[in-house]
Amino acid sequence: MSAVAASGFSGLFSGRPLRLLAGAVLIVNGMFPALWILFTSLKTEAELTAKPITWIPHAPTFANYMQAFSDQPLHLFLFNSFMVALLSTCLTLFISVLAAYALARLNLRYRGLILSLIIAVSTFPLVTLLVPLFEIMRTLNLLNTWIALVLPYTVLSLPVCTLMLVSFFEGIPRDLENAAMIDGCTRMGALFKVVVPLCAPGVFTAGILAFVNAWDEFLLALSFNSNPSLRTLPVGIQLYQGEFAFPWPVISAALVVGIVPVAVLIVIFQERVVSGLTAGGIKG
Amino acid sequence: MNIRFMAAALAAASMLGSITPAFADTELKIFVSSQHQPDVWRKVLDKYEAANPGVKIAIETGGNTSEAQAQYLNTVMSAKDSNLDILMLDVIRPAQYAAAGWTSDFEGKDMSVYLPAYAEANTVDGKIVALPAFADAMFLYYRKDLLDKYGIAPPKTWEELAAATKKIADGEKNPELQGLSFQGKAIEGAVCTFLLPYWSQGKTLVENGKLTFDHDAAVNSLKLWKGFVDDGVAKKNIAEVATDDTRKEFQAGSAAFAVNWSYAWTHFQGAESAVAGKVGVTRLPALGGGEQASCLGGWEWGVSAYSTHQDEAKKLVEYLSGEDVSVFMAANGSLLPSYAGAYKNEEVLKAVPWFADALQVVETAKARPVTPRYNEVSEVIRTTVNAVLAGVTTPEDGASQIEARLKRILR
Amino acid sequence: MTNTSTINAASTADRGPPAWTRWLDLGDRALAVVLLAPAAILLALIIVYPVLRLGYTSFFSLSLTSGLPAEFVGLENYSLMLDDPVFWETTWNTVLITLITVPGALLVGLALALLANLPFGVQWPVRLSLLIPWALPLSFAGLIFAWFFHSEYGVVNDVLMRLGFEGIIWFNSPNWAFAAICLTIIWKTSSFMALIILAGLQTIPRSLYEAADVDGAGRIRQFFEITLPLLKPSIVVALIFRTITALQTFDIPYMMTGGGPGTSTATLAMYIHQNTVSFLDLGYGSALAVVMFALSMCVTAVYLRAIRTKE
Repeated sequence: MSAVAASGFSGLFSGRPLRLLAGAVLIVNGMFPALWILFTSLKTEAELTAKPITWIPHAPTFANYMQAFSDQPLHLFLFNSFMVALLSTCLTLFISVLAAYALARLNLRYRGLILSLIIAVSTFPLVTLLVPLFEIMRTLNLLNTWIALVLPYTVLSLPVCTLMLVSFFEGIPRDLENAAMIDGCTRMGALFKVVVPLCAPGVFTAGILAFVNAWDEFLLALSFNSNPSLRTLPVGIQLYQGEFAFPWPVISAALVVGIVPVAVLIVIFQERVVSGLTAGGIKG
Repeated sequence: MNIRFMAAALAAASMLGSITPAFADTELKIFVSSQHQPDVWRKVLDKYEAANPGVKIAIETGGNTSEAQAQYLNTVMSAKDSNLDILMLDVIRPAQYAAAGWTSDFEGKDMSVYLPAYAEANTVDGKIVALPAFADAMFLYYRKDLLDKYGIAPPKTWEELAAATKKIADGEKNPELQGLSFQGKAIEGAVCTFLLPYWSQGKTLVENGKLTFDHDAAVNSLKLWKGFVDDGVAKKNIAEVATDDTRKEFQAGSAAFAVNWSYAWTHFQGAESAVAGKVGVTRLPALGGGEQASCLGGWEWGVSAYSTHQDEAKKLVEYLSGEDVSVFMAANGSLLPSYAGAYKNEEVLKAVPWFADALQVVETAKARPVTPRYNEVSEVIRTTVNAVLAGVTTPEDGASQIEARLKRILR
Repeated sequence: MTNTSTINAASTADRGPPAWTRWLDLGDRALAVVLLAPAAILLALIIVYPVLRLGYTSFFSLSLTSGLPAEFVGLENYSLMLDDPVFWETTWNTVLITLITVPGALLVGLALALLANLPFGVQWPVRLSLLIPWALPLSFAGLIFAWFFHSEYGVVNDVLMRLGFEGIIWFNSPNWAFAAICLTIIWKTSSFMALIILAGLQTIPRSLYEAADVDGAGRIRQFFEITLPLLKPSIVVALIFRTITALQTFDIPYMMTGGGPGTSTATLAMYIHQNTVSFLDLGYGSALAVVMFALSMCVTAVYLRAIRTKE
């Protein structure tokens, strides 16, 4: 520990109180908005509009949570968001593992060009493609299905994941693959039995990126899946507010319900996400 | 929690069930704006289903504001989607739907049964685009107790209103009590905010699709509202205030006057209201010696041109826009009827006595400009009103900007 | 990472004639096609085809509210843009948001990363604090911060007033509204910056600092001569990704101000969305989208260049 503390910038913060201060800054910056919403979700509407505003709820109530679940099918929103994010994560990983392998291993002549195309094509803002995309989904009869969202969400994460995986794959010695193939594996067998497991941290990080991207999206979900039982969370949350109502405490409760699953996911996997990034993947 | 969850799951299961109907049934999908009692409409639809075996109706709700709903329906309809059969449309939209060819006409329908304003709003170029679902208008709500206390009569002009708020403020000495709450946020309500004093000067904005903009009247209108902010009649952050903020402020007892739609009344008399029993409602004031003008609201039923069940959908819309349903929705959902007679209906007056006074307001309310490009017109007006109230633009510049941009749109 | 290239080089060098190479020689091209096909099909369906349609539509006068059929008008939509004040305003806002929030997020992210790289006894709260803002959906962040900056019930004004300042009506003034939006975007995006920079920091060998200590270099010199140069590759990539997403800014201003007051905080993406979805002017909206595409492509070109030079 002391060796680390002595190095570079951290030397400035070698004292314990200063380090605690640094930690406090980080935690307040990262957590405060989520905490504030948690507090708001425990207040009554009367307390919320009281002046001066209160920080900690005076009489915490769970009524807003009950209402969040009874006003709208919040559990369905959660389920849809989860399934759409999960499916698009799987699809993203599958497609980008294949593409990244081709780009990392096959000595393609146009490798640079293909890589550039994948990136270039994916930087187009989906917002502007709303109407043509809607027409495509309607033609394919995919409106009001998870697939209508899974496909564009996959595109959203494809470039970043492919890039990460290319650099991870390049870090795996070819000899390992060769050995597997000599043992009778096919090339694809070697990819999935040797390369992917060895790149697990990278694949994992890519997966989390894809999941969060899909969990985030609002506009397409709003437009493509209008059936109430197929709505995702970011869209569902909007339904609590309206022209004639803006029930902040209930919205906050729904927001908290929406934040918790991702927070749990992150608490469980945080070490892997950071180590995955550390392994150099994101550096392209 | 468990029972609640199970109930919700069952409801969801039945929803899923209803979108995959039995073979012989006609499945109609109807879009209802979620702020207008979809659960009460459901009861009406249940009755229809019971009377018409073989027809199943599913309700779909979209975004919760008029703008959000328009955006959603625009996406669906511009892709020529046949999923929705019947659409509930804000009164400002039939012209756009007619131009885009998104609704089918009701040929030969006798529109004279409805209030004239709605017969007009739903007829575009001689074609009947949609049928009225319910009426609405903007009202002036006031604190009866405060007005009585200071011996003030309900104001007939905006100037009287300003004087009244001053008198109340001087007497009450309560910094939390604002004079007037209205909509200054860049939402649809702000279009009405602009038009109320504009109309009061006897001017129109659009006639037969042509711009009839009166610069001076527009300046006067914007000046009036900006003056209210500067003189402390309205609060400084009025540019942040949306429809429901007005409702909440007045309901919490922190405004002497409020401009709002009819839905607010039920809230003001509700159990959570601090002003229950102390509220009066009247026509919106006039500007100077002008006429008193209100903004016409209300929603309409249209049949999607892409629906594959044209006849069944039209039959249902005829039912939904009938007088019986109008009375039922007034008595059970507090929605203003689109039939003059319904305002004198006993059942209605028992449930919502104040509707007796509302008829006059609805009958004299003015329709917002009728043009297929209403969305653009609305955007120009509400962002400018918002900018003027925020002090970003002067009323003169604001009026010029509205004029220049409207000329571009309605060229 | 340095030993990777040597291994690659070695494996290429002694690639003898084992049995599998024949399979590779035969299949390289075909295999590549098979492996890249899913990505290609998906991108063609979701991006290429819609973009081509946009480009095509941008040469037509096609407004669904006009009731008129589409008519070929050449470049008219593009020339309309030139004297459309709202186009210029939203484009300028977009560029300004990019110019403010990208460096802003970088600086804040760098600071957060340096703090997070300290030797904390317990690591997970620190990591969680960096991951939560990143994982929070943009639309949630917009909603939450709109509430934060609310002039009466917001916590920001509450803090200001407790500190003896006057509360600000944030969304009443273009400058304050713009500031609130930029602050929100910086908060939301700086943590991902921080994560990437943190990843870079952790790959810097400690021995470099020890050597610098021996040479008597101060902390600040160490930072500028060791830390920053070694972080440059991660920073460049993070910056370019951030720039591309900044040009697409939509959710946060949409949720916080809806573009107001007036149109002073509206972005190009919002204007495109408004023209296509609200105004149904598909011709003009498509032309705007093409312009935005061109803007993104410029940044992408810089990005591709950066990758190239790295290789």
